[in-house]
Amino acid sequence: MSRNAGSDVKAAYLFIAPAVIGFLVFVGYPLIRSFYLALTKYNGLTDPIFVGLGNFRRLFSTDPAFWPSLRATGYLVLLYVPLSLVLGLALAMFLNQRFAGVRVVRTLAYLPVVLPAVATITLWKFMLDPQVGLLNTILDRIGLPTSLWLQSPKMAMPSVVLVMLWGVGGTMIIFLAALQAVPTELYEAAKVDGAGPWAVFFRITLPVISPIMLLQVILQTTAALQTFNQPKILTGGGPGFSTNVLMLGIYNNGFPTLGKIPQLGYASAQVWVLFIIIIAVIALTAKFSSLWTYSDNTPD
Amino acid sequence: MTTLPTEAPPVTAADHAVSPAKKKPRVVGTTAWYVVALFICAVMIVPLLWMITIGLKSRTAVFDIPPRLLPHEFQWSNFVKGPQAINFPRLFLNSMVITALSVLGGVLTAMMAGYALARLRFPGRKTWFYLFVGSMLLPGVVGLIPLFQLYKSIGWYDTWLPLIVPAFLGGNPLFIFLARQYFLAIPYSIDEAAKIDGAGHLRIFVSVMLPLTRPAWLTMAILAFQASWNDYLNPLVYLYSSGKWPLSVGMASFISPFAGKTPDWSYYMATNLLYMLPPLIIFFAAQRYFIQGLGALGSTNQK
Repeated sequence: MSRNAGSDVKAAYLFIAPAVIGFLVFVGYPLIRSFYLALTKYNGLTDPIFVGLGNFRRLFSTDPAFWPSLRATGYLVLLYVPLSLVLGLALAMFLNQRFAGVRVVRTLAYLPVVLPAVATITLWKFMLDPQVGLLNTILDRIGLPTSLWLQSPKMAMPSVVLVMLWGVGGTMIIFLAALQAVPTELYEAAKVDGAGPWAVFFRITLPVISPIMLLQVILQTTAALQTFNQPKILTGGGPGFSTNVLMLGIYNNGFPTLGKIPQLGYASAQVWVLFIIIIAVIALTAKFSSLWTYSDNTPD
Repeated sequence: MTTLPTEAPPVTAADHAVSPAKKKPRVVGTTAWYVVALFICAVMIVPLLWMITIGLKSRTAVFDIPPRLLPHEFQWSNFVKGPQAINFPRLFLNSMVITALSVLGGVLTAMMAGYALARLRFPGRKTWFYLFVGSMLLPGVVGLIPLFQLYKSIGWYDTWLPLIVPAFLGGNPLFIFLARQYFLAIPYSIDEAAKIDGAGHLRIFVSVMLPLTRPAWLTMAILAFQASWNDYLNPLVYLYSSGKWPLSVGMASFISPFAGKTPDWSYYMATNLLYMLPPLIIFFAAQRYFIQGLGALGSTNQK
């Protein structure tokens, strides 16, 4: 037995070694290093110069792009996350029915999620072209007002969110799995009690899937705060600063076009602002989750 | 194994209408269902069909006003000339090599870690599990700048190594988590029997565990393929020479306007279809695993 336990430990360390090394190198080290870099002026060529909170002072008081980028990021999150959750759940409930062809619809609804982001984003860039894009063509045919979409400061962010929502099938599939895990007896009992569809939804479905909902709120907000591909490819941050989200600012400061000096310390400070926002969002969501998530082992 | 979106508990509004007098709304309800279902299908499929029609139009016909839905004459040559414009075969091969290696590394090392975390007793087992799970929430952007500098200092900048090596070092903590959950569900008597037969851990892992956990690692392989094939930010940051780019970066550069030159949308769309094909083929061939993996994630988080 003891010989077994000893060999277990040795084997365990060998099996887990790659992941542990990976954790130390790709999680532990960058976390500490990026915090240090955030307090420095660093161009990537010469040694970093310690400047204390100088980068943060510059961000919050003098950088003309920073506040708009916070605003753009917040706007994106507030627009995308609720829409994604509501549409994703609605779609999941709809596709949780039994009707002929439901599997085909499920497959098609999930299809955009498997396509490469660059491929779908560029496709949508052309879809949203004001002159020759399909969206305006259709709107025009059926007599609805058209828009400049990505080229209009007002519509640019909603357009970016629209493109992101084309991938709502990803949210749908998670909710669908959650809905299918709801015990059928609950629905049967509700039926016997004569509960209507809304009562069933609010009293049974929603409470039972609320832990998944909580996880989705956290994961999607975290992901939305780090949105990069869509604004980078669709608008490059414009028009003006309207879609210039934090990730674009980080990218542009840290990895500028040829000829400009990379500001890696400054970009790291922006990373930490984003990181702290993400931690705060997760902490607040988790803290207040007991108000709206259902758990069967805590007495109320 | 998790059950999948097949047989669902029916909770339609129509189902609540049990009395025969209310039979009519049921039919109306069904028609409405199909209208909604058709609308969903249209939203998902029309952009893709439109992409194909653009890919078949001539370069100038793309800009016809008002736009035609179907091409005037089919330009099949776009499917040759478009890919040539970005050296498609080369970039395709680049993508394939990078993706294949990161799938292999990511799945293998996650399975190994999952095996240790689920089936072997060692000091620090819980701690490491929580660290891996916790790192799932760590935003990837935190690593971007320090790792960029690290790779640069060891001569990995403008090579594929930053895109491949991390995969061989545990890569995706989500996979470690999935692997562990899957290994936990396998009865321990199997290990005991193998040990009595004199098998070591490596032997048990390779010839007993890997065959038993096929659905788990196939799911991970598919997810890893998708993640690597689709990745844009990392190759964009780490690769400078266009000859080393994967397709994601090549396709994005295709349409970025060079000094006032308008992008060739018909060439682009034809090439875009080719870029989409590998993930599409895998999706249709292995749909079951896509949905299973995500389903497992949904239900395990529910405890």
